[in-house]
Amino acid sequence: MRRVYLDHNASTPVHPEVVAAMLPYFSEHYGNPSSIHGYGRDARDAVDAARGGIAAFLGVAQEELVFTSGGTESDNLAIKGVAHASGAGHVITSQVEHHAVLRTCQALERAGYAVTYVPVDGDGLVDPDAVRRAIRPDTILISIMYANSEVGTIMPIGEIGRIAAEHGIPFHVDGVQAFGKIPFSVRAQGISLLSCSSHKIYGPKGVGGLYIRKGTKMVSIQHGGEHERRRRAGTENVPSIMGFATAVSLRARDMPGEAVRVGALRDRLWDGLRAKVSEARLNGHPTRRLPATLNISFRGVEAESLILALDLKGIATSAGSACTSGSLEPSYVLTAMGVPAEWALGALRCSLGRSTADEDIDYVLEVLSAAVQRIRAVSPAAVA
Amino acid sequence: MYSEILLDHFRTPRNVGMMRDADAVGESEDPSCGDLARFFLRVMDGKVAEARFQTYGCGPSIAASSLVTELVQGRAVDALAALTPDVIERALGGLPEERRHAATLVADALQAAGARYRERHPGEVSRV
Repeated sequence: MRRVYLDHNASTPVHPEVVAAMLPYFSEHYGNPSSIHGYGRDARDAVDAARGGIAAFLGVAQEELVFTSGGTESDNLAIKGVAHASGAGHVITSQVEHHAVLRTCQALERAGYAVTYVPVDGDGLVDPDAVRRAIRPDTILISIMYANSEVGTIMPIGEIGRIAAEHGIPFHVDGVQAFGKIPFSVRAQGISLLSCSSHKIYGPKGVGGLYIRKGTKMVSIQHGGEHERRRRAGTENVPSIMGFATAVSLRARDMPGEAVRVGALRDRLWDGLRAKVSEARLNGHPTRRLPATLNISFRGVEAESLILALDLKGIATSAGSACTSGSLEPSYVLTAMGVPAEWALGALRCSLGRSTADEDIDYVLEVLSAAVQRIRAVSPAAVA
Repeated sequence: MYSEILLDHFRTPRNVGMMRDADAVGESEDPSCGDLARFFLRVMDGKVAEARFQTYGCGPSIAASSLVTELVQGRAVDALAALTPDVIERALGGLPEERRHAATLVADALQAAGARYRERHPGEVSRV
């Protein structure tokens, strides 16, 4: 049976060149980068080179990049690190952030901070003016994601960055879904902190980074040794950092061509589905969207049954919503976008990647349109 | 995650669709998740001669509905209450904790159809 992986926004296969770059750092160059001896110096040189490579990709200074255990830790460090440096105040974020940001902000609320969750429009966009209007004299941080993981909508980061700069407020961007997928400039867009992750871009899991612009006032949230310029205690995960840096260098090389190729496949999938299946809708911005993300709904089709039908045919996709403990809730992202529940419950996310081939799209078109028809046939809405 | 029995019923659901001249129709909706199951029964001599279903919901809800249309075949309407959520779950080869609502939904819809039949045929006793 053909197998097609269309869940690259969840995780990606590690690139073979990345695996090769990691291997020597398990049992050959295994020293602790903090050690003084030759083994330690080898590891330190490797981590420095990795940091230099990723910093160059982002167009930032080496010492502005901190390695973490991944996107979630980067978001926690950015938000709590800035908040705790003030001790009190107001944070602005959006209703459609990843849980790593939303739940960190909720934790701040419980600790006495104030948080404003700005809404989004029907395409999933944050209105920069809404951010401007939310600013208070005690606002200490603005945190808005670069691109949404469920629907792929790309936020007006440059405009929000200008507003943050005008008011002298640090601006954190959760860049996990955009980093290495679309080109952007950290400096030109006024970003003070940027979270990024390795396993979304064909690197290993368990490693990520946080760019911290020089001069950003923040405190460490994990205490211990003096690693990462005292911003993140803990021995550096050297093999994974090497893998992360290699993954980034491959993105620098492959990203422009791949964005065009995968974007065309994604559009062909949507055009084909629209032609074959009635009552289908696209969720997310029609054009300001990550090139590989397609979030779609079919009226009268519940997402879990569709995902199962596709899985039985070797196709891996995901739903914005997850049925847990007997209660299926429409995705909070789609709800914030005003998508009616009858559509939101059937939302299916297909996220393509470097391995997605032309024939995969043909296969998915055939299987998906048949699955929708079959599920509709057993539905009470079906006309016998 | 799901048993082969469940997957088989999901892949090739039996007795799908509405029945125009059913002797009883019963349905149940899970308000928390929007799943809905509906059964149509044709009854002869107090026993289920034919059952069909329409279900909107997750894979297990669809599979459980299909399975139940087979389980009720030839069964006395008065004995449908024996098909409890536990019995349906066991017949499906088990359900993950977070999908057990599927068996409850389907059992409720079936009981509703049985109750509807008895309302319309008071005093009828099934000949076993």
